[in-house]
Amino acid sequence: MSTGIPLTPAPAPPAPDAYRRRLASLEPETVARARAAFAALLTRDHAVHLDACVHCGLCTTSCHYALVDEDPRNSPAYKVHLVAEAFRQESSAWARMFPGWTGARPVDAELIGEWVDVLFGRCSMCGRCTANCVVGIDVPALVRAARGALAAAGLVPPELQSTVDAAVNTGNNMSITHDDWIGTIEWLEDELRAEVGDDTARLPLDECDADFLYVLNPREPKFYPLSIVAAGAIFHRAGVRWTLARDYFDVTNYGLFSGSPEAAATIARRLVDTTRRLRAKQLVLGECGHGFAANRWLAPEWLGEEPGFEVRSVVDVVADLIRDGRIELDPSRIPNLVTLHDPCNLVRNGGVIAPQREILARAVTQWVEMAPHGYQNYCCGGGGGQLSMTRFARRRLEAGRIKADQIRATGARIVAAPCHNCVDQLSEIGKEYALGIEVKTMCELVADALVRRP
Amino acid sequence: MSPEAVSSTLELNEEGFLAHPEGWTPDVATVLAREQEGIETLGDKHWAAINYIRAYYLEKGMAPMIRALCQNTGLRLREIYDLFPSGPAKGACKVAGLPKPDGCV
Repeated sequence: MSTGIPLTPAPAPPAPDAYRRRLASLEPETVARARAAFAALLTRDHAVHLDACVHCGLCTTSCHYALVDEDPRNSPAYKVHLVAEAFRQESSAWARMFPGWTGARPVDAELIGEWVDVLFGRCSMCGRCTANCVVGIDVPALVRAARGALAAAGLVPPELQSTVDAAVNTGNNMSITHDDWIGTIEWLEDELRAEVGDDTARLPLDECDADFLYVLNPREPKFYPLSIVAAGAIFHRAGVRWTLARDYFDVTNYGLFSGSPEAAATIARRLVDTTRRLRAKQLVLGECGHGFAANRWLAPEWLGEEPGFEVRSVVDVVADLIRDGRIELDPSRIPNLVTLHDPCNLVRNGGVIAPQREILARAVTQWVEMAPHGYQNYCCGGGGGQLSMTRFARRRLEAGRIKADQIRATGARIVAAPCHNCVDQLSEIGKEYALGIEVKTMCELVADALVRRP
Repeated sequence: MSPEAVSSTLELNEEGFLAHPEGWTPDVATVLAREQEGIETLGDKHWAAINYIRAYYLEKGMAPMIRALCQNTGLRLREIYDLFPSGPAKGACKVAGLPKPDGCV
């Protein structure tokens, strides 16, 4: 059957050194494109934030990059400074006349090189600097504007751009074909039936008028499908009417990280349209931090309209099912000490803080908070597209030391993380820093704790 | 070539994936498994997974779905994660000499 989605895989990205070579000898037209896009992307909000930094330095002690490496380029204030210089150049003729006095700097090849190294390579857009800024400067929004200027000029690191291109061109960020998606769901339905011991259990596809449409991370069908079985087991036990979509199933939106509002809008539009097509009452987002921030909070801005239905995290839905007594849990099934990681885009930037804690209180024998946690959590290090940008992987793993130290201090054997991207980074730092931990999503933990029926 | 000799010629990217996937050989897999994944000896089941992933990659230019991997090798789903502790992407695909897949991995 045809879904209208092109099934050809996205073209392979150029070799990394080609990107570096390109940055070293940028054509004037490319620089001009980046400069024009930067000027167009700046709004009044950006301008207020760019003018507000009082250079107090509090952000430096809040950033995981700056805490592991004192290189001044890691300071959020420096990241703001790099964007502010170009802003002064674009916004004031006076500044252009006297750049030495005013600190104005044109968007040129040199500044673009610095933006790539600093704004792509030293920032996970986690927003902890903003949370600790005395004047509340929205650093991730400024970083996104500058990244967006580079996106317009085709200068996003190719490993990140290829993830955006895969989503735009194939409908999901791993280029999973329609047949592979449907085949995987049908195959997993057998797994689910064995898991719950009920031959009527289903993974419904394209069922209209359901309570919610469930969308998930493509890495689940591709590599980690047991989390789909886990969600299916929870929904089956609770007796909810839910559905997956045959076409657009991807909760992620890497346009948020490349900074391209066009790509972000194209991707966000599909989930709104699919929810409407299936007449689902709600759009429920699988465990994905940035997917929550993008689809819940930013999509209305990108699309210029409210969706007209509720957009929720699956964590919130599962907490409701437990509270309402629709699933029965046996915490003794998970005796090991658990700690909880707070994905920045779900928690600090997303506002979902309590439900995951309610779930742990009912699903596991014992759990402890990290210090700090909640709104003041530290990023795992994998956000902002860092996980996909191989060229900055060393810095990502070094910056992950802050989270590794936090986890070690809890003594926990299991880390619960309501975000697949965080799960991957946490698994990597578990290996890098020999933490001896198992990393699980909330749905996987809840499914493990479901009371077995005879 | 001895494992030491293979190891000394390998060019890896920042995440331990082969910089030049076309240069993969079974000896490279043995070295990657030990040095990157802590797998001392690759058994028959490891090789079944590695050979399938490698053949799929050479034909399609990308990693196979885990469903295809299970159905074509007879390995059970949960078994894959025991065989390759870093998982299918950063474990099995890396040892099979694939570039890192796109997305949240």
